[in-house]
Amino acid sequence: MKRYVMAIDLRRCVGCQTCTAACKTTNATPPGVQWRRVLDLESGEFPDVRRSFVPVACMHCANPPCEEVCPTTATKKRADGLVTIDYDICIGCANCIMACPYEARSIQHEARYAYGDQPMASEAARFDPDRLGVATKCTFCKDRIDLAARTGQVPGRDPEVTPACVNACISGAMHFGDLEDAASNVSQLLAQTEHFRMHEELGTEPSVYYIWDRK
Amino acid sequence: MSQAKTVKHVPTFCYNCVSGPDFMKVKVEDGVATEVEPNFDAEDVHPARGRVCVKAYGLVQKTYNPNRIRTPMKRTNPKKGRDEDPGFVPISWDEALDLVAAKLKDIRARGLRDAAGQPRVAVSLGHGGTPANYLGTFPALLSAWGPIDYSFGSGQGVKCVHSEHLYGEFWHRGFTVAGDTPNARYVIAVGANVDVTGGPCAVLRHADARVRGYKRVQVEPHLTVTGACSAEWVPIRPKTDPAFLFALIHVLVREHGLAQLDLPFLRDRTASPYLVGPDGLYLRDADSDKPLLWDEASGKAVAHDTPGVVPAVAGRYRVARAASVDADQARREYADVEGATAYEMLSAHIAKYTPEWAETICDVPAATIRRIAEEYLEAASIGATIEIEGQTLPLRPVAVTLGKSVNNGWGAYECCWARTVLAVLVGALENPGGLVGTTVRLNRPQDNRHLSVKPGEDGFMVQYFNPTDKEHWQTEPATRNLHQTLVPIVGHNAAWSQALGPTQLAWMFQNERPAGWDMPTPNFPDLWIVYRSNPAISFWDTKNLAATAARFPYMVAFAYTVDETSHMADLLLPEATDLESTQMIRIGGTKYMEQFWDHKGVVLRQSAVEPQGDARDFTWITTELAKRSGLLTPYVEALNRGVSGVAPLKGEGYDFSLDPTQEPVPEKVWDAVCRAASVTISEGREELGLDWFKEHGFYAVPMSRLEWYLTPTMERQGLRYELPYQERLLRVGRELGNRLHEHKMNWWDEQLSEYTALPEWHDVPARWVRNLEKAGATAADFPFWLLTTKSMQYHAGGNAGIALMREVALNVRGHTGVIMNAKTAAGLGIREGDRIEVRSHIGATYGKAALVQGIRPDTLVIIGQFDHWATPVAKDLDLPSLNTIAPMTLDLTDATGSGADIVRVAVRRVDAEAKAAA
Amino acid sequence: MSTQLPQSPDRISPRQQGNWDWRAASNFIAGGSGGGLLLWSALIALQGGDVRLLQAAGLALIAAGLTCVWFEIGRPWRALNTFRHFGSSWMTREASVAPLLFASGLLALWSGEALPAITTGVLGLAFLYAQARILAADKGIPAWRHPRCRPLVVATGLTEGAGLLACASVVAPALWPVAWLLALLAGVRLLAWQRYLAALNQDGAPAGALKALHRIDAEFRWGGNAVPAVLALLALATATPLLAAAAGALAVIAGWRCKYTLVCRAAYTQGFALPKLPVRGRGKSGAGVKPGWNDISRRVAA
Repeated sequence: MKRYVMAIDLRRCVGCQTCTAACKTTNATPPGVQWRRVLDLESGEFPDVRRSFVPVACMHCANPPCEEVCPTTATKKRADGLVTIDYDICIGCANCIMACPYEARSIQHEARYAYGDQPMASEAARFDPDRLGVATKCTFCKDRIDLAARTGQVPGRDPEVTPACVNACISGAMHFGDLEDAASNVSQLLAQTEHFRMHEELGTEPSVYYIWDRK
Repeated sequence: MSQAKTVKHVPTFCYNCVSGPDFMKVKVEDGVATEVEPNFDAEDVHPARGRVCVKAYGLVQKTYNPNRIRTPMKRTNPKKGRDEDPGFVPISWDEALDLVAAKLKDIRARGLRDAAGQPRVAVSLGHGGTPANYLGTFPALLSAWGPIDYSFGSGQGVKCVHSEHLYGEFWHRGFTVAGDTPNARYVIAVGANVDVTGGPCAVLRHADARVRGYKRVQVEPHLTVTGACSAEWVPIRPKTDPAFLFALIHVLVREHGLAQLDLPFLRDRTASPYLVGPDGLYLRDADSDKPLLWDEASGKAVAHDTPGVVPAVAGRYRVARAASVDADQARREYADVEGATAYEMLSAHIAKYTPEWAETICDVPAATIRRIAEEYLEAASIGATIEIEGQTLPLRPVAVTLGKSVNNGWGAYECCWARTVLAVLVGALENPGGLVGTTVRLNRPQDNRHLSVKPGEDGFMVQYFNPTDKEHWQTEPATRNLHQTLVPIVGHNAAWSQALGPTQLAWMFQNERPAGWDMPTPNFPDLWIVYRSNPAISFWDTKNLAATAARFPYMVAFAYTVDETSHMADLLLPEATDLESTQMIRIGGTKYMEQFWDHKGVVLRQSAVEPQGDARDFTWITTELAKRSGLLTPYVEALNRGVSGVAPLKGEGYDFSLDPTQEPVPEKVWDAVCRAASVTISEGREELGLDWFKEHGFYAVPMSRLEWYLTPTMERQGLRYELPYQERLLRVGRELGNRLHEHKMNWWDEQLSEYTALPEWHDVPARWVRNLEKAGATAADFPFWLLTTKSMQYHAGGNAGIALMREVALNVRGHTGVIMNAKTAAGLGIREGDRIEVRSHIGATYGKAALVQGIRPDTLVIIGQFDHWATPVAKDLDLPSLNTIAPMTLDLTDATGSGADIVRVAVRRVDAEAKAAA
Repeated sequence: MSTQLPQSPDRISPRQQGNWDWRAASNFIAGGSGGGLLLWSALIALQGGDVRLLQAAGLALIAAGLTCVWFEIGRPWRALNTFRHFGSSWMTREASVAPLLFASGLLALWSGEALPAITTGVLGLAFLYAQARILAADKGIPAWRHPRCRPLVVATGLTEGAGLLACASVVAPALWPVAWLLALLAGVRLLAWQRYLAALNQDGAPAGALKALHRIDAEFRWGGNAVPAVLALLALATATPLLAAAAGALAVIAGWRCKYTLVCRAAYTQGFALPKLPVRGRGKSGAGVKPGWNDISRRVAA
């Protein structure tokens, strides 16, 4: 059994949004839809001020509230930990959006393009009408994980089967891998560091770990 | 999503900003570029492990942006101006090229220089030399042409780290200066916003350093991304950085003293032991004119290069006989004169700059300053060593890095000097862990700092200052920015010297000259060529600058979209952009920012997709222009010499040179460049053609990490760094003053005051206050400082019109308008998102208030350079810009010809109508 | 050519959800009232009354609510997929109750018998309960997932049902004694509201949600519950159907406004929080942050 997780080292993240942009081009999300982004969170008062940069996206919870409330079973949790949406089944009721405490999901009702009413060639090539009117979110680049299952490559180690955001991250903040494998990069990293998960008190068991200090 | 029939992953590079080049691949599906991806083939070669920053992900949109100019266009409205519709109409390439060729031929017939002796052709290239990585073989045509004026800057000189470029290169061949982050333990970053501007390489290295446990202290008026990612933020009052740095030196020198500093380094690698006489000049051997030092072994003053001496670093000594050499070789002879060592001079000079004094200037507690100095000293671990490739070198893991507006404009000389002295005091200059230069641009060769080091005068490395002696001083400036006339240190040895001159002077003096101008009156250039440059947005006083540009007789813009500068153009030429064209450049060796590599070689940018519309590869355009203007042979000969390429096309054991009588197709040019490059880099082992590079993208060989550090080279040559005492600058300044005053020109006197051997604190911020008062305004009416800061999402590369960048940039604080302190705003009745006016004494700019805690109450910050009115998309952003309201004036120009992005402003809440009325 | 330029929102602090607008709110408003009305109609039917008009109104309300939702969902022609997740989705369960409820309701209308009326009433209650559970399961909306939101939603549905009955006494004066039920339920609802609000204050909630709820607090307490309760008691004391109807109308309007507020004004998202701030190099961590939440919760987070 595998459990794919992401470990994000907040000590490294500089909030540059490279992952945001990489996700947008890889997954061809329309303007305004960000399956992932980096929060720029200021706290404190002058002059004792902090800014923290926190990449957020679907947390692929082990106990996903979105899956529980989905009336159609479009949202499912896979055995390997990925929370998926079947665009052919989803009715776009948005109940999952209300259930998700991570603001990870959105619904786009109409086609939108970066420059006006017409798609650029790059947008036209990637346009997917199935994504209109249904909930969409970060997939952990599901196709790549599925490819790994076929090829035997290791997500998190082999770029071809690693989520685009992790590949793109320039600060080395983002890591991906199998938590059930004690030798995986994420297991090792999490063993050496202090970390938390977002809104743990809600019992969602997220698969995204935030590293904030060494052990 | 339908499945693509063919999918390619094309290796290429991004060099949109000075932090490049970075490796990437472009995913091309059925001939359409759809994604940008890291190039993991380069993971072990590229310091950023094959990754590009956020900007590169906008290149797909940049390619297919419907607002692109897709065909050559000519102006039909002869009137030029912001309010004039240029009436651009499409024309054929034939017509466009013939128009330019006719201009060139006409100019050639009339003479390459005009009546004032200045080039008739001017070329403006944008951001930090990066256009060179996109303009194909155009440099070969420029080389074939002859004299060209690069004076009309788009911000270089004032928007770059100008003083660092000049003094860094002077002191330690560090055109750009960085900490040796891979080994760093303690970094004091004074405004250096490296996590935004340093590219993936710096971001990764600093992230590694954070996890390793280094400490970075960010000294800056507002909490930038880099400040956020630092261990400590010190919100210093704007432009008081010299005082802060002086106080650090004070703590080291006066409170800790020589015993705790790196005595061997100061003694052997610097001019600290050189004796300074009563006239402030070096005491020299009366016979040889060599600087003297005090030999502790023999107890007497001897020439600095006397074998076996043990120089005294501190102290004052009586010298029986000596001489000094002043400006214009004026000699003074001394007998029984007291000489203080240069270090002693420093020690005496810095005595008054206590942390308590600095507190009153900088608004930083003395205790904080003292603690930072002590942490720096402790982290320097003087005496420690590190083994690199079998060699034992000192390990001094501390650095002071400087940011834009700290290291340019008034006060920047002081800052650059102080931070280099701080490195010198602990032996961290050009040693592992310490402060290192990353490239040279004012010396040759560009790709090897070590080869640029040769013995020069007085035991220092050679310098190529512009002459200031009576015979050679340039009384009739060869360029419109007067770089050889006014700025000795910028030199004339390398191609970059001219562009590093005072570029705002070129703009200012087109309109009016200062009283007492005793030089030929400059003329507009007959032909102005602009590429990847938009000075009407990126310089200062942009409204007036655009109006000046509108008066230029003929402007050719290689234009991606219409913008605020090309709005004035006579001809627009669409070039194939980043993903559509081919070019090979060097990697490794030397680069800007923190791009010191473990490999060197070449990387190819290639046409991943066909150009949009009728856009053409720059090399094709250039070759056509060369042919049509009768310059084909010299152009091809320049190519053969290696101009535009990375190596001569003919060398020892190889010959890929092109026939100068034949017009070469671009593929043939780049194939020859590929072969010459691979043969030279592999030292003859491999010959790889364009097809190989198209598949593999790059070729690299290992580079020794020892190449990162200059000190071993200095040691081998027995040279000293020209620090801490600036005797040469003092002399040169006096000599320049003599020349100017002989011509009754006193308008540069304020700048001459910067030529000091040991910089003093002069109320730097007050210069801006005086400037507005001189203009008739009242200082109290403009109570705030306005600064700028860079945005990784927009920074360079013409990204203001890229929708994706807009979208993702909005996730980063401050990208909506004017960053201001929330408490200050509350006092002014300004709420988040309110529309506000930021007004200086020359104008106003408008935007939404973005309230934060992480900024000083007396400071406002506007990110980037906006306020567009012609560039599609960008003009709808409704974002403000400092450039609109920052004056361009001689008063705010320092001795190097630079200025800084800072202006006094007033701020108030306005509504939409007020803006319309304005 | 126009390019849609995104504007910067504060997307860290909780914000009012934007996916369920008045159409979704209408389902909770009309469906809840309809469910309550059907339940109380069943009680009257049990006593032998002819409640077919009331049942018709209840069914119509529920149908109207569902229709509104149908117009809101992204893929209306796939609406039948709603029935696929009975195992855990209260939306499926709500939807599953609906056909039974309409079948039973139509049978009751057609037959006028008590049994189908009672079945319809029970299904009406189930529908109402399912709605409360839909909100409760939405972990992304703190104001909904709070355990005291569920009783409030049920209580208001029941109160509105009683209120509608009371309103009906204008045309069917025989119904005025229902005022005692209305008075009782208004009291219960008031209690549920106060307990809900107090607990949200205590346990922490997005500041915006609390603000939205507090904005209607006084009005809901007094105008929506206390006054109707008193009017209902007065109606009982004076046997005045008009007073009962007025009480009912107030109670219904207040309930609707309350639910509209819950869905369209107080439905703030969770937002983001950091229990620990990252350590940068040799710096220190800092106190946790939970932007956009009220002070109590911020202290809890710290």
